[in-house]
Amino acid sequence: MRNTLKVAKWEIKRNMKNKSFIISLFLTPALMLFFFFIPSIFGDSDNEGAEAVNVFVNDTLNVFASLQETVNQSELNWELQQTDLTESEVKDELQSSEDAAYIFINEEALTNGVIPVYTSEDIDSMFASEVNVLAAPIRTMQMEQLQLSDEQLAVISKGLVFHETTAEDAAADVVQTDSAEDPMKRVVPGAFAGIILIMIVLTGMNIFQSASQEKKDKIAEIILSSLTPAELMQGKILGYFVLGLTQGVVILLVALPVAIWKTDIPIFEYLFVPQTALLVVIAILGYLLFASIFVGIGATLSDITTAGNFQGMLLMLPFLPVIFIGPVVNDPSGFFAQLGSYIPFTSPGVLLLRLSMLDEWPWIEIVIAFAILIVSVWLCMKLAGKIFKTGILMYGKNATPKEIWKWIRA
Amino acid sequence: METVLSVQNLGKSFKDKEIIKHISFEVRKGEIMAILGPNGAGKSTTIRNIMGIMYPDAGTIAFQNHKEIPRHKIGYLPEERGLYKNVKVMDILLYLAELKDYPLKKAKERALTYLKKFDLEGKENVSVEELSKGMGQKVQFIASIIHEPELLILDEPFSGLDPVSQELFKQEIRNLAQKGTAILLSSHQMNLVEEMADRLFLIHRGQKIIYGNMDDVKTQYANFKCTIRGKNDRAVLEHLPDVQRVEQENDTSILYLSKDVQAASWLKSLPDSLTVQELSIDRISLHEIFIDIATDKNLLQEEGVVHA
Repeated sequence: MRNTLKVAKWEIKRNMKNKSFIISLFLTPALMLFFFFIPSIFGDSDNEGAEAVNVFVNDTLNVFASLQETVNQSELNWELQQTDLTESEVKDELQSSEDAAYIFINEEALTNGVIPVYTSEDIDSMFASEVNVLAAPIRTMQMEQLQLSDEQLAVISKGLVFHETTAEDAAADVVQTDSAEDPMKRVVPGAFAGIILIMIVLTGMNIFQSASQEKKDKIAEIILSSLTPAELMQGKILGYFVLGLTQGVVILLVALPVAIWKTDIPIFEYLFVPQTALLVVIAILGYLLFASIFVGIGATLSDITTAGNFQGMLLMLPFLPVIFIGPVVNDPSGFFAQLGSYIPFTSPGVLLLRLSMLDEWPWIEIVIAFAILIVSVWLCMKLAGKIFKTGILMYGKNATPKEIWKWIRA
Repeated sequence: METVLSVQNLGKSFKDKEIIKHISFEVRKGEIMAILGPNGAGKSTTIRNIMGIMYPDAGTIAFQNHKEIPRHKIGYLPEERGLYKNVKVMDILLYLAELKDYPLKKAKERALTYLKKFDLEGKENVSVEELSKGMGQKVQFIASIIHEPELLILDEPFSGLDPVSQELFKQEIRNLAQKGTAILLSSHQMNLVEEMADRLFLIHRGQKIIYGNMDDVKTQYANFKCTIRGKNDRAVLEHLPDVQRVEQENDTSILYLSKDVQAASWLKSLPDSLTVQELSIDRISLHEIFIDIATDKNLLQEEGVVHA
């Protein structure tokens, strides 16, 4: 263990003294901020130049005033006007106008519950969702027309919420899940752990570089005269873990103030919850998994440019979760989400994504996924140890998959 | 003298091929013990087994007073060697000393002393990649002795060195031995070894050929040979007394004489009929023994059978 720490310390010191590492340490958050702000830079100019949408309301029910109020409150970029055009006339009118919409509010629409809206072709894509804010005042009016008492009104306008309580929850302290909860509450710890995972995996790729450098510089045998291959390997994994964390911390130091300044999410409040700890553990397990794979492959290659298909594919493993992003975002509890949680290579990424999106954590799945992950980490470490031991001393030539298989079996 | 390292019946195979077998020798305190042999004889394999970098299939390796390899007390300069590129000379020396649990302050002093000794004064803050190959070799050598090892194992320490540096290395190795360090070095440069080794172990195709004191080996194996320039009949030469073997090339004949021959009286016994333009008599050098073995002329094997 002492030797492991010495190696780790050396790797950290060596990188910290390296100019390119220091530069990338600060360049990474700078680039992230840059890309973060690009949309808002362009977005701002877009908004300023954007034409207001002309919304014409054919109102036969006298709700225009309350509509106007709602629009003002929601700060929509709308020019609300009244119109007398009929539905049939509107179609011709729209042909020749830009950024215009016609809304017809009358008895018929109210009874059907469908309010016809006609828009010009080039209408802003956000309009369809924006128009929904009008539902509230119209609904209020609808209910008033039904001549309900204020009490009845209050009950109805509350809407319905399904509050689910599983047997498990009931046994434990009942956790209230409010559907109106801020989704950020889950996303913040998830994003935090995600940043850590990405950083340590990216820095972990340097392990690969470092292991193969050991071969290239032919220093392995000198080092191994003082310690065992296992100690050298563990030292590297530990060292690069700390380096990755450092990168993560630097990013957070830059990103947090910006995030707090630019958004009004109570980040600290959401961050310091027990869930964060679990997510960070997932991130660390993910790192250990990939680090052991990288250090193993690194020991079989003297140069990344000579990586064969086999090694190249293994190097791509950390990016595997990307193919699960789509399905998981669509349905965080669906088949693909579960599948992704059970495949060790995608499990850290998919789990982080899912847990950031789900209000109710699927504990059984988490436990199974954890078990698989831990076993895989253990297995990969073992295999990497065997490969590393032989591979690191093989100079001048790369190991073939056949040879690697032989070392593993030895 | 105390035995620091003793190797018994060492054997190692890769696949079905036996790389080394029945290798037994000892290294004692304050002596220079040389493992000699042509390329591929099994020198590095033997050393790697001693260092625990490979695991032997057979035999035992015992260190004085230690059950496990006392890594902190061994200095090792492997045949395939290098240094991390983008670090400073002093940093890497201190790191390697730290790995050996050697106190940092002392290591720093020793590093500076040795850098000065090896003409590298002022290079301690230079990046390793800026060093020439020879300078790099010196730094590697310093790294292997910075922690005052009790046993120093040098695998081909002279390869790639210019004569000046070779001399420097030789001197330092002798110094260390005098101070009591047990030194095991491998080489294929017989002339260098002949000058400095106290004992030698000659290995070929993974097997022992000669093992013993340098002086003993010389008297035992390095017989007289007589080189005669002049046209002579091979049959006549072969029938001269004490001649074991004759090699002829053009007009030059080399007569290998038996061990107990008295040079002076043997010369007197030469017949008058012999054509002699030039004649010289000298001992077979280790170099020749080495070449003989490497080229399978088996000169020594014959001798070995007679005298072993």
